[in-house]
Amino acid sequence: MELQDSYYDKSDYVETASGNKVCRRTVLCGSQNIILQGKVIVQAEAIIRGDLANVRTGRYCIISKEAVIRPPYKKFSKGVAFFPLNMGDHVYIGEKSVVSAAVIGNYVYIGKNCVIGRRCELKDCCVIEDNTILSPETVVPPFSRFGGSPGTQIGTLPEVQADIMVDYTRSYYQHFQPNKIIL
Amino acid sequence: MSAGFLDIDCVKYACTCGLLKTLQQLYFCRYCSELRCTFCVSHEVDSHFCGKCCENLPSAEARVKKNRCVNCFICPSCRQELSTRAASKQPANPEESKATKRTYYLSCLCCRWSSRDIGLPDQTAATGSWPKRESIHSNRIQEIVSMYKGLQEKEKLDKEFFKKKQKEKIISYTDKTGITAAALRKRIGLPEDKPILKPKNAVKIVTPSKADENIDDFDEEVLTKSINLLEITSIDQRLLQPDVQPKEISNIFPIQKILSIKRSLRCRRCEHNVSKPEYNPNSIKFKIQLFAYYHIPEVRIVTVEPLRAGQACELILKFTNPTQHQTTVSFLPFDSPIEVKEAIPEEGAISQEDSLEELDKSSLTPSKKKSSSGTKLMSLVDTHITLTTSRSSARALSPRSIAESINCTVDIPSSTFILPPRDDAAEYDDFNEVHNIQDDKKLVVWRKSNKAYIKLVVTPNEDMPIDTTVTTGFTMSHLYTNTIASVADNKKPQKFNHNMRVILKLGKSVGLN
Repeated sequence: MELQDSYYDKSDYVETASGNKVCRRTVLCGSQNIILQGKVIVQAEAIIRGDLANVRTGRYCIISKEAVIRPPYKKFSKGVAFFPLNMGDHVYIGEKSVVSAAVIGNYVYIGKNCVIGRRCELKDCCVIEDNTILSPETVVPPFSRFGGSPGTQIGTLPEVQADIMVDYTRSYYQHFQPNKIIL
Repeated sequence: MSAGFLDIDCVKYACTCGLLKTLQQLYFCRYCSELRCTFCVSHEVDSHFCGKCCENLPSAEARVKKNRCVNCFICPSCRQELSTRAASKQPANPEESKATKRTYYLSCLCCRWSSRDIGLPDQTAATGSWPKRESIHSNRIQEIVSMYKGLQEKEKLDKEFFKKKQKEKIISYTDKTGITAAALRKRIGLPEDKPILKPKNAVKIVTPSKADENIDDFDEEVLTKSINLLEITSIDQRLLQPDVQPKEISNIFPIQKILSIKRSLRCRRCEHNVSKPEYNPNSIKFKIQLFAYYHIPEVRIVTVEPLRAGQACELILKFTNPTQHQTTVSFLPFDSPIEVKEAIPEEGAISQEDSLEELDKSSLTPSKKKSSSGTKLMSLVDTHITLTTSRSSARALSPRSIAESINCTVDIPSSTFILPPRDDAAEYDDFNEVHNIQDDKKLVVWRKSNKAYIKLVVTPNEDMPIDTTVTTGFTMSHLYTNTIASVADNKKPQKFNHNMRVILKLGKSVGLN
């Protein structure tokens, strides 16, 4: 099914020169530590905790409503340390998901209401289904599909998953249009 | 659902074998020029790797290690991956050494199980030193396996021996005339023919196990003692270690993680690879990627009017050309017969004849390299032969009928439309490109680069009850440009019409208003 246009209020969003579309009603802590590579959509009420550590996204990432991006921490004998969170290109993060992975590869799809435990590694081309809880330090190999609580592998993905994700995030960006002003 | 988010399940293509698959799940063998699904290809294990540490193992080594990773463990309690934790241990006598000793233990971050729970001592090295638990039956099983291997070997030798004996029974003329081979050998002075050795009975037979006469008395405590469920393993936990099947939670043991595989796929008919991944476990690239998604136009449903039984409604489909070649798409009725290999139409035939003529010319002109043109011709003949053979075998194959009932008819448009080649740079063009394509305005609603939006009229069946899934279908015919021959023989790419059935699930029917 072809994606339908989704509209946003133009006054609500900030569009940067590189094509990022960031909602004003988001919580971006430590914005100097957040790098959005371009054509990234951050929707309303999303939280990105740049104050904890660097957060870096690739191109064509979609961070849905009420998602939380939180860099992972590790406990040491002398307190805790936060690590940067790197995200690849063409990543989709669903609504109300909490992500504190260490690495998110390219072409990753995270469904809604997921919890990605701290220091998880999501390799390229993987899908986390809706309502999945990944326990900390889980490694999700390429072309695998994880689901359940605690998250386990429940299937594999077609070889063209990368192209599917490219197509999906691109068309999502293209269909994410400002409201037509009605006079 | 195959991709969850895209909802691409509503458009399915019929594979050559008759199964319905989404385009993303199909392969396209360029040599047979046919669709292949996972059931039409043979699967081969390419490499083994561990899903956690991404270490690559050659298959021989993987077999020795029983297809398990050496370094990674899963939790025996909840099956999640165990992580290695470091602990610093103060030396017993602080004066001995200042440096604290680092030790490691395994711990599950999901259920909080740790290797200390079962009294496993901490290790001094982070990986590789965890003790392996041998099953008490492993020796016995090894003995039995080697015995049966020996028996198999012996049986094979016996058979050969028997065969040779049979041969000897045949009376030859030399036997009749009295000049036997043995006699001849003697005369010439050669050493005597070695008699065929009877295979030795060297198989060590294992002492068969005996049923024990003495059976332990029934432990009545089982009935009287109250059980603590926290100390007893669940069925799941027991079956996770089938060789031991521990009853108490204190006996569970970290389990080595099972390796994953990368596989390559091969067309069953022509034995060409259709998919071959790269060796590196982290890589998502492919050395050979003949996926249908890269060769066959993609059909997507854009909009459909409310479906009412017996009423015509408008359906907008989006067609995308993924190839580097322009293609022409036309529609045929759903149950129009599909030749497994479409005969080359006029254009294609002409182009092929052209190439033949060119070849002839090149072979006639003496200035050009003769040898190369000769081989060219030869290879052309070869391709012709392979084409014909594949055609004949294709006819022999009988695809199953498509298991999907069509309850909605499509008005098949008589006109065709053109899909321009894919252009990766097109998305960076800001201005609208001008295309000089003469379109049938009734058919093509809108087009952009390699995409076209097509309007079709569909009519659900008269007798359809409300709220049934409306399924429709048609046969899509598109001009396919095969570049394989052109690469091999330096001639023009072959063009032919490739037909396939497409089935669309349009949604639920609604009532009349």
